[in-house]
Amino acid sequence: MSRRLLVPGILGALLAASTGSAQQGQPAQQPPRDTTPPRDSTPPSAVYGVTEWREARAKLEGVTDASGFTVYVIGDMEGLASAVRNATEMKPVHRGGSRDHERFRQELTDEINAVIAGARAAGATQFIVNDGHGGTLFRNTLPEKLDPEAILVRGYPKPIVMSTGLNPKVDAIFILGAHANAGTQGVISHSFAFDSFTVNGTVLNESGIAAFIGGEMNVPLALASGDDVLAEETRRMLGPIETVVTKIAFSRSAAATIPPAKVHAELRAAAARAVRRVRAGELKPLKIKAPYRVRFCMRRSFDAWTSAQVAKLQGVTRDGGEGCFAYTSRSAEQVGNLLNEVEWIVLKP
Amino acid sequence: MIRRCCALLASGLLLTTSLAAQRPAGDPSKRVPPGAGFRVFIVPDMEGMGSTVDIREVIAGNEGEAYRTRTSEDYWERFRGLLTQEVNATIGGARSAGAGSFAVSEGHGGNLFANIEPWDLDTGAVLIRGYPKPLLMVSGLDSSFNTLMFTGAHANAGSKGVMPHNFAFDSFTVNGTVLNEVGINALIAGEMGVSVSLVAGDDVLIEEAKQILGARGFVPVVTKLAVGRNAAITWSPAKVQAMLRAGAAEAVRREQAGEFKPYTLAKPYRIEFKLRRTFADSIVTQVAAFDRFKLEKIGERTFRLVTDSAREMGYLLDAVEGVVLR
Repeated sequence: MSRRLLVPGILGALLAASTGSAQQGQPAQQPPRDTTPPRDSTPPSAVYGVTEWREARAKLEGVTDASGFTVYVIGDMEGLASAVRNATEMKPVHRGGSRDHERFRQELTDEINAVIAGARAAGATQFIVNDGHGGTLFRNTLPEKLDPEAILVRGYPKPIVMSTGLNPKVDAIFILGAHANAGTQGVISHSFAFDSFTVNGTVLNESGIAAFIGGEMNVPLALASGDDVLAEETRRMLGPIETVVTKIAFSRSAAATIPPAKVHAELRAAAARAVRRVRAGELKPLKIKAPYRVRFCMRRSFDAWTSAQVAKLQGVTRDGGEGCFAYTSRSAEQVGNLLNEVEWIVLKP
Repeated sequence: MIRRCCALLASGLLLTTSLAAQRPAGDPSKRVPPGAGFRVFIVPDMEGMGSTVDIREVIAGNEGEAYRTRTSEDYWERFRGLLTQEVNATIGGARSAGAGSFAVSEGHGGNLFANIEPWDLDTGAVLIRGYPKPLLMVSGLDSSFNTLMFTGAHANAGSKGVMPHNFAFDSFTVNGTVLNEVGINALIAGEMGVSVSLVAGDDVLIEEAKQILGARGFVPVVTKLAVGRNAAITWSPAKVQAMLRAGAAEAVRREQAGEFKPYTLAKPYRIEFKLRRTFADSIVTQVAAFDRFKLEKIGERTFRLVTDSAREMGYLLDAVEGVVLR
């Protein structure tokens, strides 16, 4: 968004130049002043909530019940039943979207409630919901409509944004409303701020990254729902987890959509199966061998300033062309934190 | 930006112009109608209530030019409903433990101190709403009240709480003791002989309140765990309301048992405050020019007031805020 600010600056410079040539005989003009507001280059660590992942994990772990079965539900929106259009359905009016977003907030909440009900029926006892959609800066789930037993993590910035506070007391991760990876033909396909993201050569979409962070703690990602592209690619990454197909993608902004009520019923059933399969030891955590060699390329639409900010992050080196970087760590959470720092650079409210 | 805006919230900063900076805002001689039985005074703020994390959820957008783009009506509307339910839960809990009358003073500047939905508020409560009003957050409090309760309170400026701020200040101390908004209002109430029995807010605010009022000095209700300046681990509104109901009942019982003491500090109060570093220098100049208060400028934007009256301190707060948005 802030990239657009450059344009008036350039126009301003051109105007100033032409005005200068029209005023012959005047004393030499000062070089045109750059009126572009400076872009905010404060480091991510300067803002509370971007990098404090240890604190957030300690706080959530403190209220996570180790004695029962705890499900950590990540709620995204692009893969919700019926959702197809980013410009109107994925963000509220004040962020350039439309009133339609309100209806999809309800759909998000309904889908989360459906998996909670299904998981509960299969014996799950605690539910932590992490609002995982940036359209409203992670304030999409309707607090008063959500199952009242659930803990809701909301707001932005928050550490390791889609896996905030994830900890080993959690028994299973579900991701709802998930979308296919950047570069695919899924509905509103993307992956954080990246065109590509790999760990030790393995391609990970957003669901895969959540599974990677959970996997290091021995927590499996047991259920993913979204369009057919998301379901297929996530099973390819994680194996035969539970998936619910909410729609068949016809393009990045069109789909054959399954009726919401039917999706809710399927989510309930899949959530129950997921809990039973985790308890039976059928669904394994995603394990990648440390050290983790991460390679990522920023979305091509981001400019050189953004890349320059990313290049300043600790441990990040340029690798493989403009906007591409490498990073190595022995901690998946540390990788999640890096990703969050990058997210903050592009998503600063 | 968000922090700068938030800093203006719970205080009277949302007024536009024409407040006589050197007079208390509103008529301090007016009293809340008398009530029967054990009297509870409730100050509900919004930043520390259940679920809220962002300025758009606590601002209506009509508070002045600076706030016009900082709201999202659908969000604020939703949370003013939850605010009303929180206050009702607090009243319900207090009543169940024998409290007889209730006054609620809007403590949050959104919509100019008119966030609670009057038609949905417990019919047993007198609601003090609107702006300007004397002693802002504790307007209407007097020694006839038996206890003071804070809901939705937020942590101090510079802390790791959700939407942290403290009136117009980067720091505020009395006799060297750091006070947040709860502490400042507790001191004003303490001078009237009214003690604090309940404080609800995020985990950071509750720790601060324990530092100020003592760990056993009130009933704490943790509404959320801060994980960022605009992010938190939250419980459902239904759970938070249940906690408030139980907390308020316990607060009344323990207050009646004499467990809580009015918050006092030694007189004279040596008050030192630092105006926000983000404010323009002209604001510092105007505060320095107050003649109603005997302010001593002791730093670039730090002032000292020595007074025997906490109420006077409250009027000073109002006056400072009157200047800030001038």
